[in-house]
Amino acid sequence: MRFLLNLLLMLVVALSVGFGLSWYALSDGRLFGAQQYGPWTTWTRAGAPDPDPYTRAFITRNASLQLGQAEGLQLIATADSDGRRLERACRYRVDGHTPTSTFWTLIPVDDKDASIARPDGPPGFHSNRIARANDGSMQLYFSKTLAPLNWVELTGDGPFSLALTLYDTVIFSGVGSSETTTLPSIIRESC
Amino acid sequence: MVRSLLYVVGGVLFGLVIHLVVILILPRIAENSVYTRIAAMDALNKTTLLPLPAPGEPNPLHLDPDMSYALCKLQLSAGPGELTGTLPFSFWSVAVYDNTGAVLYSTTNRDGIGQTLDLGIFDPAQTRLLAEQKIDISPGLLIVEARTDEVFVVVRLAPEHPSMRARYEAQLERLACRNIAI
Repeated sequence: MRFLLNLLLMLVVALSVGFGLSWYALSDGRLFGAQQYGPWTTWTRAGAPDPDPYTRAFITRNASLQLGQAEGLQLIATADSDGRRLERACRYRVDGHTPTSTFWTLIPVDDKDASIARPDGPPGFHSNRIARANDGSMQLYFSKTLAPLNWVELTGDGPFSLALTLYDTVIFSGVGSSETTTLPSIIRESC
Repeated sequence: MVRSLLYVVGGVLFGLVIHLVVILILPRIAENSVYTRIAAMDALNKTTLLPLPAPGEPNPLHLDPDMSYALCKLQLSAGPGELTGTLPFSFWSVAVYDNTGAVLYSTTNRDGIGQTLDLGIFDPAQTRLLAEQKIDISPGLLIVEARTDEVFVVVRLAPEHPSMRARYEAQLERLACRNIAI
């Protein structure tokens, strides 16, 4: 009887560790293939011709069109710079600079990757169509209520994510190793 | 107690094995991969525009609503593939994917290609024939070697303004996607 209980314990531990670790590796993934820079997370090898097994499994599970390494890189933020989940009831300011790229887009999306911006407005921000400060920095607002400067109106309720796509970027090319430190911060202003 | 602890340690080790097996076999057994989504689209040997999802609608391919996308599927068992045509001055990029959704090759028009896209895709056997000069190709063809015979190509084009999208997409749709006769 004791042997059977121990065997059951071993099976429960094995299945929990095996499937739990796999689920974590392909969702959060920070200890495996994903990299985190402030609030932004990215799978840096997702666009490589020879992805490692974790990245290959991520590509399969994600089932989306990954950007090739030469094309650019997508970074996702699900929390603000203080680690709190992004909520549509709050007003957020994306503040700072972006790494060098030909252009970028910043889109607020829900868990199905659908844009949650006002349907009859732009789906998000485009680097060529925003107002900047004299030093090139930007202040971008996401909220359901009116905000100053560059503003995208959110719709619906619940959590959301921000998808920052850098096209033709040098972020991981070794040109300017501090490029990742230029990613903007996400500041929760009010709720 | 010590024996139970040993079973737990054994469970953790067995769990690590399960984890490695899951990670390694997932790409082979997944039924809902990007390739199965692409396979459902009518884009074999022709260029098809990918419809952008309306606001609020699911976006399974994670398309950027600020871009326009053209898709072309190729079956290299019928011969090498090519994607050729002229694109606008605006930023565009091209990526070749294998049937697991991994990007085999990508480039942008900032890499000195200019406006003309002239891409040839060959499997390893066809690349060997090419090296032995047994296949005639047009000069200037950018050659990509694919690991598998089932590949698809995606061209991303960035309209500088939303009002230019229709004209740019018409140009995207005119890209020729076909097998090269050998």
